[in-house]
Amino acid sequence: MNSNFSCKTCASADQKLETFISNLSQETSHHRVEGQSVKCGFGLQGICCRLCSNGPCRITPNGPKGVCGATADTIVARNFLRAVAAGSGCYIHIVENTALLLKKTAANKGLLKGKRALKKLSEIFEIKDADEYICAEKIADAVLADLYKPDYVKMELVEKMAYKPRFDRWKELGILPGGAKSEVFAGVVKTSTNLNSDPVNMYLHCLKLGISTGLYGLTLTNLLNDVILGEPSIRLAPVGLRVIDPDYINIMITGHQHSIFAYLQDRLIESDVIAKANAVGAKGFKLVGCTCVGQDLQLRGEHYQEIFNGHAGNNFTSEAILATGAIDAVLSEFNCSLPGIEPICDELKIKQICLDDVAKKANAELKPFVFEERAVQSDEIIDEIIDAYTARRGDIVLNMMPEHGNDDTLTGVSEGSLKDFLGGTWKPLIDLIVSGDIKGIAGVVGCSSLTAGGHDVLTVGLVKELIAKDILVLSAGCSSGGLENVGLMSPSAASLAGPKLRAVCESLGIPPVLNFGPCLAIGRLELVATELAEAIGVDLPQLPLVLSAPQWLEEQALADGAFGLALGLPLHLGLPPFVTGSPVAVQVFTQDMLNLTGGQLIIDDNAKTAAATLNEIIEKKRRELNI
Amino acid sequence: MKRIIIDREKCDGCLNCNVACISAHQEGSNFYTVNLQGVDSETRNFIKFDSKTGYTPIFCRHCDEPECVLSCMSGALEKDPETGHVQYDETKCAACFMCVMNCPYGVLKPDTRTRTKLIKCDFCEDKKDGPSCVAACPKKAIEVKEVSL
Ligand code: SF4
Ligand code: SF4
Ligand code: SF4
Ligand code: SF4
Repeated sequence: MNSNFSCKTCASADQKLETFISNLSQETSHHRVEGQSVKCGFGLQGICCRLCSNGPCRITPNGPKGVCGATADTIVARNFLRAVAAGSGCYIHIVENTALLLKKTAANKGLLKGKRALKKLSEIFEIKDADEYICAEKIADAVLADLYKPDYVKMELVEKMAYKPRFDRWKELGILPGGAKSEVFAGVVKTSTNLNSDPVNMYLHCLKLGISTGLYGLTLTNLLNDVILGEPSIRLAPVGLRVIDPDYINIMITGHQHSIFAYLQDRLIESDVIAKANAVGAKGFKLVGCTCVGQDLQLRGEHYQEIFNGHAGNNFTSEAILATGAIDAVLSEFNCSLPGIEPICDELKIKQICLDDVAKKANAELKPFVFEERAVQSDEIIDEIIDAYTARRGDIVLNMMPEHGNDDTLTGVSEGSLKDFLGGTWKPLIDLIVSGDIKGIAGVVGCSSLTAGGHDVLTVGLVKELIAKDILVLSAGCSSGGLENVGLMSPSAASLAGPKLRAVCESLGIPPVLNFGPCLAIGRLELVATELAEAIGVDLPQLPLVLSAPQWLEEQALADGAFGLALGLPLHLGLPPFVTGSPVAVQVFTQDMLNLTGGQLIIDDNAKTAAATLNEIIEKKRRELNI
Repeated sequence: MKRIIIDREKCDGCLNCNVACISAHQEGSNFYTVNLQGVDSETRNFIKFDSKTGYTPIFCRHCDEPECVLSCMSGALEKDPETGHVQYDETKCAACFMCVMNCPYGVLKPDTRTRTKLIKCDFCEDKKDGPSCVAACPKKAIEVKEVSL
C-alpha cells in the first residue's frame, strides 16, 4: 500500500513495540510524528484566534491585539475554555449514556452484577428502597436529572458526592456547577466572538466544568458501570501484543463506554455463538482490549475471563495491534479511535463497526447501539464479524509478537478492591505513609502521546523517578497501558522502587505502580484520596498527594486537569496546555490557584526535575502534617 | 558557503520564522515561552504580504557585495571571509543607520527600544543546528543551501 511515508518512527518507552512498529509496512502515528515535527509557535502558545472573519489573528510584536481588540490573555482563555468545554462534553456524553443504560437495564430487570456498588450509590444518594431494580432506576434518574438541569439550577448530587471541605470551598468561590450539559453549553457561548473577554471569569468556568466532569463524567461513570458490569477485583493478567490469540476470532474494542458491550460480551461466549465460530474454523471469540474501554474491561477482568484475552495496549498502540493481522474487527464507541486505523483496516480487511455516532469513522459501518435491539444487533454484529473472518484470514499474513508485554500485570485495583486488600480499612496505608515507608502518593494519569520524548517516554521516565523516591504511583488512563506493557505493574518492578517502598511492595507482593484502569478511574483516585483525607481528618490539598498527566493528549485530559485543580491538588503536565502566551493564564495556573483551590500547575517535560519538584511538594506537605 | 535560499511560492505567511528568530535572540526561551509582546521582541526576518503577489519572505541575503557593509563607515558591519556571512559588531556601531538606508532588501532596522543598535540577521551563528527560522518553517520556503562564489 502506501509506501510514501517516513521510515523513521518516534521513540517509545516500550522498546519491543518501537522495533515492531519501525518494521511495519503500514504507516502509523509513530511514522507521522517526524512529518509534523515543525510546530506553529502561535498555536503552541495559544495565541491564534480564528473566531471571526477578521482573523485568524495572532499576537505578534507588530500586532499585540486581535483586530477586535482581544489581547493574548483573552484569546488564550477563550481557546482554553473551549477545549475544556469540549472535553467535559465528551465525559458528560459517557455518563449520560451509562446512566440511560443502567435505567433501561433496571427497568428490564436485567442483570446487575455489582451489588456493592449499588448499595454504595443508594447510600450516597439516600435511596432507601428495598428492591434493587427500583434503587438502580432511581440512581440513574437522579444522575440524569442533574445532567439535564439548566445552568442556573445547581446539580443536587454534588454535595452528596463531594468531600465536605471541598464542597464548602467551591461554594465560597461560586463554582458549584449547574446542569452539566448546560455548563458545557454556557462555556461554549462565553468563548464565542465578542462575548466574554475576562480571563479569570473563564478560568473559574473551567473549574466548574472540572467539578461536573470529575464527579459525574468520571466518578459516577465508574460506579454506574460497576453496578451493570461488576466491581473490579485484584488479579494478575497478561498484557501487550501477546494477548492476541490468532486461533480465535478477535475483536478489538476502542472507546470509553464499557456498558455498551455488556450484552454482547456475554453473548459472545454462549454455545451457539461459539458453534458459529467453530464452524468457520475458529476456537471462538475473544475481545482484545485497547484504549480506555479495554482498560475498563481489564479492571473487571475477573468477571470476564472467558471472553477477554487481555489488554493489548493504549491509544497509540492501536495501529500496531491491528497490524498483527490477527484482529478481525474493531468495535468502537468513543475515543481514542484514531483516524489512523482506518487505512490499516482497509488494507487488512478488518471490519469496523461504530456503536455510537459521535465516534463514526469515515470508512466504517454505523450501528448505533439501541438497548431495546441489543439482541438483534449483537447477532448481526457477530455474523458480520464471522463474514470478515472468513473473507480475510486466508489472505492475511500474520505478524504476531508473542514476546511483547508480560503475563503478570496486577490489575483490578479500585477504591473498593484496594481497601479490601488492605483488610477493609485504609489504616495500613495511612500507617505506611505516616512512617514514611510510603513517602507519598502520585496519581500518574491521563493519556499517552507521541510528544514529550515519544510514546510514553516521559510517563515511564517520571514513574521510575517517583517510585525510586519511595512515592507510590496510582495510575489511570492510557498512561496505564504504557506502564503495564513495560512491566512497571508487575510485582517484580518492586526492585526499581526506593528501599522503603520496595520493602513494602515485596512484603505485600504488589508492584510499586497500581493500575486503576481507564482515565475514567481518575474518579476512583479521587475516591481514594477523599477517603484517606476523611480518615486523617484533613482537606485534600493537605495530603502528601500529587497528580501528574505527563503526556496529556486532548481536551478530555484538560477537563480532568480542571477537576484536579478544583480538588486542590498539585498537577504536573509535561507540556503546557497552549496557554503560555498569556501572562494572566500563567499567573492563575501556577500561582493564584494556590489561594483559590489549593491547586497548582507545574509544567516540566524533564522526568528527573519534574519528579524532584513533585517530591519536594510531597515532603513539604508531610512537614506541614508533622509526619 | 551557506545561505538561506527563499522560495516565495511556498511561503504561507505563518510567521513561524518570526517566532523562531525572536526566540533565537531571547536567552533561554523556546516556542512555548518566547515573549512575543515585549518591546525587545524583535525579528530579524520579515514577511511582506501583497494581495497580488502573496507572501514574500524578506531575509538577509548575506550579499556577495553587501551594500550595508559598503555604506558602513565605522566598520560595525563586516563580511566574514570564511563563512561569507555579514556580521554586526554593536560596539563599533555609530548608529548612523546608513546601512538601513542602503540595504536593497530593506531587511535592516534600528532596535525599537533605544534606536541605537541595528537589528540584523546573524545567521544564528551561535546555534549548533544553524538558522532557527529555517528549522521552524513548515513549508520549507526557506532552506539553507551551499552556494559557491
Ligand atoms: S475574534 Fe478578534 S482576535 Fe479573533 S479572529 Fe476575530 S478579530 Fe481576530
Ligand atoms: S543587510 Fe541587506 S545589504 Fe546587508 S547583507 Fe543583508 S541583505 Fe545584503
Ligand atoms: S538565521 Fe537566525 S538571525 Fe537570521 S533570520 Fe534566521 S532566525 Fe533570524
Ligand atoms: S516560516 Fe516559512 S512559510 Fe512561514 S512565514 Fe516564514 S518563510 Fe513563510
